[in-house]
Amino acid sequence: MAIDAHPLTALARRWSKHTNLSADDRSALLALPFTRKTFSKDSYLVREGQRTNECSLLLRGFAFRQKLLRNGSRQIISFHIPTEFVDLQNGLLSVADHNVQSLDGTEAAIFPRGALIELADAKPSIRLAMWIDTLIDASIFREWVVNVGRRDSRARIAHLLCELALRLDTIGNGHNGRYDFPLTQEQLADATGLTSVHTNRTLQSLRKDGLIQLTARSLAVLDWKGLSEVGDFDELYLHQNFKG
Amino acid sequence: MELPYRLRRLDPGSYLVREGDLPSHCTVLVTGYAYRQKVTGEGSRQIMAICIPGDAVDLQNMFLDVSDHSVQLLTQCKVADVPREALQELVLTRPTIGSAIIELTLVEASILREWVVNVGRRDARARIAHILCEFAVRLEDRGLLTDHGFELPMTQEQLADATGLTSVHVNRVLKSLEADGLINRRRRHIHFDNWRALQDAGDFSRRYLHIPDQDTLAQTY
Repeated sequence: MAIDAHPLTALARRWSKHTNLSADDRSALLALPFTRKTFSKDSYLVREGQRTNECSLLLRGFAFRQKLLRNGSRQIISFHIPTEFVDLQNGLLSVADHNVQSLDGTEAAIFPRGALIELADAKPSIRLAMWIDTLIDASIFREWVVNVGRRDSRARIAHLLCELALRLDTIGNGHNGRYDFPLTQEQLADATGLTSVHTNRTLQSLRKDGLIQLTARSLAVLDWKGLSEVGDFDELYLHQNFKG
Repeated sequence: MELPYRLRRLDPGSYLVREGDLPSHCTVLVTGYAYRQKVTGEGSRQIMAICIPGDAVDLQNMFLDVSDHSVQLLTQCKVADVPREALQELVLTRPTIGSAIIELTLVEASILREWVVNVGRRDARARIAHILCEFAVRLEDRGLLTDHGFELPMTQEQLADATGLTSVHVNRVLKSLEADGLINRRRRHIHFDNWRALQDAGDFSRRYLHIPDQDTLAQTY
C-alpha cells in the first residue's frame, strides 16, 4: 500500500469528493498543527462529560462512539474508520455528550480546537467540508434509530454489515468484497441493541444462507444483493455520491 | 437579518420534506409541531425526531444532495420558508451566523445519538419516560411549558413509532407511570407530579441537549 507523504492527504482527498477545495485550501489544511497519538484496544479517546478542547481524526485502525446506561449496559452509536473524525462536533460543543473508544490499535491526529476554528473561519470551503461530515454523521444516526427501532435482528445485522462494507470500500479497505474487520460479536450486539447470543445466531444464519463469511479479523460479503435485501439497505443516507 | 421568507399555514399530516427530494427552501416552524420519519421496506415507520416551535426542520438539506428522510406535521402549523440559496450565502459569508447554525445541527445530532441509545438499550418504561423528559426540557428552554407540563402533540401510535414499541405497549406504560404517581394526564396534557422520579425512570440526564443549565423544572416540581 502506498504511503501518503502527509498524514492529512487522505483527508483532503476524501473531502474533495464532496466539497471543492482549492490548492490554497489544501495547503492551509496540510499546514494545520496536530499531534499523533496511538491508542491501544478499548482505550478512550473521549470521555462523556469532559470539557472539550480538541478533535481527533483517525489515521489508522477503528474506533467507536458509545454511551453507558446507569444499569451498566452499553449502546454503540457509530463505528469510525481511517480518514474520519470521531468527534468533530466537539469543535463547537463545549462538553462531550458520549464516549469514544479505540476498537483495535488506533492512531489519531489530534487537533487543538482553536486551530480548527481559525482554519474554518479563514477558508469557507473547509468549514463547509467539516459541516458536511457532521451532517452525514447525523444522517447515519437517523438510520441507526430506524435500524434498532423497527428492523428485526437479521435485518439489523445485515444492514450494519452493508453500511460498514460500503464505507470501507470508499477508503480502499475492501478487495473483492473482503474487508479487514476487527469488530467482535459483542460490539455488533451493542450496535444493534441485541444480545451477543442473538447476534451469534443471526450471523450464523447469514453465513448459512451464503451471504457472508466472518472470521476473526475479516468479513467477506459473498452476495451483496442478497445481504442488502435482507438488511433493507438503501445507501442514500450515506450521501456518498454527491458534489456540494 | 434581512433573509427573505414566505409564511404558510399547513394542516396536520402535511409533508414539509419528502425522502429523496431536494427542497428549494429551508423551513422554520413558527408555531406547531412536526416529526422526522422513515418507513422501512416492510412498511413500518420509525420517527427519529420531534421538531418544536422555533426549530428549522431541514438545515441538513442546505448542503446535502437529497433529503434522506421525510418531515411531516404533527399539528396545524405556521411555517416560514427561507430560500435555500439565501441561507447558504448567509452561513458561508458570516462565520458567526454560520457557527450558530452549525451548532444547531450538532445538537440535533446529539439528540439522535441519545435516541439510538433509547431505542437500542432501554426497556419500554424507560423509553417513554425518557422521551417525555426530553420533550419537557426542550419546551422549557423555549418557554413553552404550560400548567406544570405540556400538551403532548402526538398520538400513542406516534409515541410508539418514536420509541420502537407498539401502541398497546405505550398505552400500558403511560398508565403505569400515572399509577406510580410520576405523571398525571388530562386528555393530551401531561402534568409532572414527580419530575425527579420521572427522570430516574427514564435514565434521563439533560447533558446531551446542550442547553445551559437553568433546570427550573427541578426547582418547581
